[in-house]
Amino acid sequence: MKHLKPINRKAARIDEMVSLEQEDVVALQGGPAPHVPMGCTLSFSPGWEVDAGGGTAGLCQPVERDIYDCYVTCFWPVQVPDHLNYSPDWASNCAVATKDWRNLDLVFP
Amino acid sequence: MKTRFLGLCAILPLAALAAPASAATIVLGGYPDELQLVDDATGAVTQKVKLDTGLPVNLHMSNDRSRIYVTTNTSSGIEVFDTASRKIINKFSLNTPSVRYRFNGGVPDPTGRYFYVLGMRMDKEIDRWRVSKPQYMVVDLQQKKIVRAVDVAPEDERASRYAQLVLSEDGKSLYIFRDEVVVVDTAELKAVKRFDLAKPEFPGMLDVSFGGALESLRKPDEYVSLFISEDPYIHNKVFGIARFDLTSREFTFAPVGPAPENMAGLEVTPDGKDGYTVAVIGDLGSQRCEFWHFDLTTNMAVDKSEFPCRRRFYFGMSPDGAKLYIYGAGFDIAVYDAKTLQPVQDWELTNDATMAGMLFLP
Repeated sequence: MKHLKPINRKAARIDEMVSLEQEDVVALQGGPAPHVPMGCTLSFSPGWEVDAGGGTAGLCQPVERDIYDCYVTCFWPVQVPDHLNYSPDWASNCAVATKDWRNLDLVFP
Repeated sequence: MKTRFLGLCAILPLAALAAPASAATIVLGGYPDELQLVDDATGAVTQKVKLDTGLPVNLHMSNDRSRIYVTTNTSSGIEVFDTASRKIINKFSLNTPSVRYRFNGGVPDPTGRYFYVLGMRMDKEIDRWRVSKPQYMVVDLQQKKIVRAVDVAPEDERASRYAQLVLSEDGKSLYIFRDEVVVVDTAELKAVKRFDLAKPEFPGMLDVSFGGALESLRKPDEYVSLFISEDPYIHNKVFGIARFDLTSREFTFAPVGPAPENMAGLEVTPDGKDGYTVAVIGDLGSQRCEFWHFDLTTNMAVDKSEFPCRRRFYFGMSPDGAKLYIYGAGFDIAVYDAKTLQPVQDWELTNDATMAGMLFLP
């Protein structure tokens, strides 16, 4: 394609499509998943509403076990502060999330 | 996405575990920026080590057990922990205001000067961050910067930054373990050989892949791993122990038992006779977790016992093989007796554990 030039609009669109496939802009539903560095905003994974026992004690709850992994890797059903890109200090005063969650910082958009 | 997380749960603790018989101190990553040193007998946190570069995501013990290489992701940092003095002796961040890196763990070269990682580079442009292809990177631990970086070949890009890296003893070959084994010449950072494990040379085997290293079984110049294999006819899955000779590059596989839906790794006692795994059956509200105990001399299942699942957890074993640990996604380690598979006690830590894995200090 390097030595060919489109001479009508359809050919131009094909050329543009091929060029886009070679760029780093990818569809979100396609693989590989564009996990970084896009942040947590685009990560949405429902289905974590109950834990292994049908309750919530072992689940990703805001003041329970797994908030930090969700915070760091963006694996979270809703938006949380993003450690890698926007809010690296959000949990800097909170060593144990289940006990010290009041020390989590406030984040304003 | 969740499946990948369970897979990681299986890989990371195995990758990090190195357990001599005399070990008595557990090393764990702790939120937000700590190493936690825990007494293996009492569960008390005896020391906390602050990591200035941020949150630990991987721990790697050097072959001579004198250093622990900690990679952190807050600022893409590397910190070197001296196991004798129990202090950080080198630390730096690779990020700059206009360049960021993403990588997980890495391996040091035999001299201890260079550190190999598989990662990506992001350059800040006027209106976006431009993300590089996955790259093999060589970090100079003295100059505290990346001195060489080469794009991963397109056919090897599926080996993500979570792949296991192993360096040969002479430092000339870097092995990337994932669905395939990629052998990289460290002089040129170029793949020189590939072993496609999805098409192994064993009759009747397919869909195989390497997991984390089984350090307790490892010999010099050999990579030992948990391995799941499926036959092509009735799709019966079995797990076993795979060995990859880093010198001859030969691969052997010894099946152990039926593979459950998800396994949280395999832990092997120091004498190599007993193996333990955690089977995760079902998901969400119907999820069940069981310890499985195998006699590795006969490859027979000996015992099993259910225990309370956590939504995300890691599985470990004490260096003497007497205790089983369930930890992660929280600030405690649930301790079980390896013989009876029954709970013994719950150790409360001072920090939530990160996904960096568990090491044992000499």
